[in-house]
Amino acid sequence: MTVAAPPSTRKARKRPFWTMERRDSLAGYLFIAPQMIGITIFVLIPLALVFWYSLHEWNVLAQTFRFQGLANYQTLLSDPGLPQVLGATTIFSIGLVIFNMSLALLLAVLLDQKLKGITLYRTLFFSPVVVSLVAWTIVWGFLLQNNGGINALLASVGIEGPNWLRHPTTAMISVIVVQVFKNVGLNMVLFLAALQGVPRELYEAARVDGTPAFRQFTRITLPMISPTVLLTSIITIVGSLQVFAQIAVLTQGGPGMSTTVLVYYLYQQAFQFHKFGYGATLSIVLFLIVAILTFVQWQMRRKLVFYED
Amino acid sequence: MKTDLSPRIKVIVYGLMTVLLIPFVFPTWWMVTSSVKPISDIFAFPPDIFPRRFDFSTYGRVFELQPFAQQYWNSAYIAALVTAGTMMFSSMAGYAFARIRFPFANTLFMIVLIGLLIPAEVTIVPLFQMFLGWGMINTHWPLVLIPIFGAPSVFATFVMRQFFIALPKELEEAARVDGLGRFKIFWTIALPLARPALGAVAIFTFLHSWNLYLEPIVFLSSPENFTLPQALTQFTDAYGGALWNVQLAAATMTALPVLIVFIIAQRQFVEGLAHSGLKG
Amino acid sequence: MASVTLSDVKKSYGKAAVIHGIDVDIADGEFVVLVGPSGCGKSTLLHMLAGLETITDGTIAIGDDVVNDLEPKDRDIAMVFQNYALYPHMTVAANMGFSLEHRRVAKDTIAERVKWAAGILGLEPYLDRFPRQLSGGQRQRVAMGRAIVRDPKVFLFDEPLSNLDAKLRVVMRGEIKALHQRLKTTTVYVTHDQVEAMTMADKIVVLSGGRIEQVGAPLELYDRPANQFVAGFIGSPSMNFIPGQVGASGFEADGVTLPCPAGTPIGTKAIYGVRPEHFTLSPDGIKAEILIVEPMGSETQVTMKLGQTSVIGLFRERVAGMPGETIGITIDPAKTHLFDAVNGQRLG
Repeated sequence: MTVAAPPSTRKARKRPFWTMERRDSLAGYLFIAPQMIGITIFVLIPLALVFWYSLHEWNVLAQTFRFQGLANYQTLLSDPGLPQVLGATTIFSIGLVIFNMSLALLLAVLLDQKLKGITLYRTLFFSPVVVSLVAWTIVWGFLLQNNGGINALLASVGIEGPNWLRHPTTAMISVIVVQVFKNVGLNMVLFLAALQGVPRELYEAARVDGTPAFRQFTRITLPMISPTVLLTSIITIVGSLQVFAQIAVLTQGGPGMSTTVLVYYLYQQAFQFHKFGYGATLSIVLFLIVAILTFVQWQMRRKLVFYED
Repeated sequence: MKTDLSPRIKVIVYGLMTVLLIPFVFPTWWMVTSSVKPISDIFAFPPDIFPRRFDFSTYGRVFELQPFAQQYWNSAYIAALVTAGTMMFSSMAGYAFARIRFPFANTLFMIVLIGLLIPAEVTIVPLFQMFLGWGMINTHWPLVLIPIFGAPSVFATFVMRQFFIALPKELEEAARVDGLGRFKIFWTIALPLARPALGAVAIFTFLHSWNLYLEPIVFLSSPENFTLPQALTQFTDAYGGALWNVQLAAATMTALPVLIVFIIAQRQFVEGLAHSGLKG
Repeated sequence: MASVTLSDVKKSYGKAAVIHGIDVDIADGEFVVLVGPSGCGKSTLLHMLAGLETITDGTIAIGDDVVNDLEPKDRDIAMVFQNYALYPHMTVAANMGFSLEHRRVAKDTIAERVKWAAGILGLEPYLDRFPRQLSGGQRQRVAMGRAIVRDPKVFLFDEPLSNLDAKLRVVMRGEIKALHQRLKTTTVYVTHDQVEAMTMADKIVVLSGGRIEQVGAPLELYDRPANQFVAGFIGSPSMNFIPGQVGASGFEADGVTLPCPAGTPIGTKAIYGVRPEHFTLSPDGIKAEILIVEPMGSETQVTMKLGQTSVIGLFRERVAGMPGETIGITIDPAKTHLFDAVNGQRLG
């Protein structure tokens, strides 16, 4: 055995400045630097500016930029358009999430069956996700014309279809449906993965116990995939708040203001009516809604962590 | 749910799926077929599911009415830059947050996550003002920079971090013992193994950029700078009415290439998204 | 090749200390096993030796060089991991040659070294395969090949056999031992399996709760465990412990008096330790009530009640008794152990 040198002499040895920890920390900072700098410039500073702008009267055309405290927020509260906009936003988001979730779940359950050619069906159901968003919206706009494909099909079975995009109710239904068919494939695939993640033994145990198929679905499948369902539903709602192109192409927020959702209203105020200060105030509203929903999502994640992994 | 179904139920399942398929597949079919029909046939009643006569001249008109080739190139190269940039920066940051211990790592990661709360729609007014100040209005810079550092890249960073956390730590330890520094470990070990996650990130990012609509109409004003989604809405007659057949031809050219790539690589596509997306 | 010296090595994460000052000297060419239950700090210690974990206090020296602030690559060590840690995207040959590539070794030399290592481990037919195409044992060999290719000063093994099935584990145990005898490279081997420790080590370091319980040759630990922890950890089935006190005619436990070595003051409260294999059947011996009989062919394991304490005995003979019956046993006082009732340290 070798004899160790007395510990005291080794302790006295000077440690270099660039210890392993410091070298590794430096590497860490270098790795995150590009993204941190980018986020600071393109996300954090603009966010601070949104708050700052919302305290100003700022009209680009009139070239005014004047501090006015909370006046924009007073305008907001007395804006006759706002209740309509928030109402349209709520109907759009809730309608979309309900339709999207139920359809995604139905498709996922169907695709989870052991059948020939199921992959082809999955591919086709998913395909709209990869079709250019505006192209998809344009085709639907074409189909939803008064003399378009849908009414022609309805007429061929003797039904006179409405002028879809010209009535408030049908216009709202149309934008929801167009958006759902475009993106439901994503949630469908997530649900399918969740369904396939349910351990087979649970179903085998249930069958041994004689549990009927429908009860297997409500008592085993649904509880097991509920975390996925809840999380995707919030992601879907947050996503629905950002829907802009579909509204701009299909209805321009009309008829009247029936499909003017918050993002579209924000765009109109800021870039069509050139009211940047008020636009910034509406951005704050949007930010708060997204922030609250995301916060709820994180809380749920924490609670549901039991199911994960 | 994985039991073999009785033949009767099989028929019901196939029937239900086929009916449900109509709104997913018919629009694309209608877009492609209508774009090759003569204008007089596209509103024909009863509608022709299969075109009876062909007229390809609309495809020529797409390029006459708009600098469509230029616009195609704009969309393609912007999406390529955004995808490459996002993959690079989000995998680097995701790796560091998953694997390297440094002071304030958690705080900094929380700051990055704030980005998820702030889609570009929220900050579009100050962003417009910033790019105006830099003289970048009616250039492609905003369309490249905003997605690379905004909410989509934060999501990508999150996905990459989750992936790297799951990667066995011993692989890296082995690499360190084998003599590699941090950057080489990242480049030769972690990144090659992260291909499934990178693939999902690439798909998400590409589609996001390819579909971008608000940013182009806010930042771009001249047709030769337009991207495809914006260009598609410009095919109108003098009264602002849509030139449906030309528009559908342009839409077909926009949608079809991505759709074909998807159908060829659909397995990697769907499964990659499912697995990485779940963890995100 | 080199000796390894750990002096007063400590590790803490924030305020939580996990290693409390470890001193170990490892001679050149020695095979040292760090053993202990999970969470005892053995793996952390190995990682600190490798440079994969930083050292909070103390020094680690390889040969004459203090390596505290050296990167793993500059310590001239090689490591074999529990899950092998083979690079999944590289072939066997590339895995083995990878470390040399990054040391600017000539291509021919790399090929030569890889071939040499593959020869030793019987891996020549697999050099072009990918790790996923190999069996567990083959992957284990590749991981070892990757370590020996470089001819490092020290080999580090981190529970290398725990992912293998029982049979293969015995085979690989032999192979690692043979490899060490052939290469004579200083080796530090971490395991939670005391059988591995006993069969492979020149010297065992028993760890628990971030402290050293005992250092010694395998049989030293078996024959004279320094405390109750080591006594219970080394040997299978575990040593039986019976509380009581030292009396005039032996050790007085609850309901029975047992033979024990002289020299401990009478009246001392203690824990009496005897290994299952150190009971001998004898009709005239101490009476014990049979609780369970488990014949294993070569041996018979009997759970029995000695006084009021349930103990396990292991006999070469076949035991015919049924539960409820009594058997007689004797114990050689020289093979018994006494531990302090309070701190568990060996008495006498």
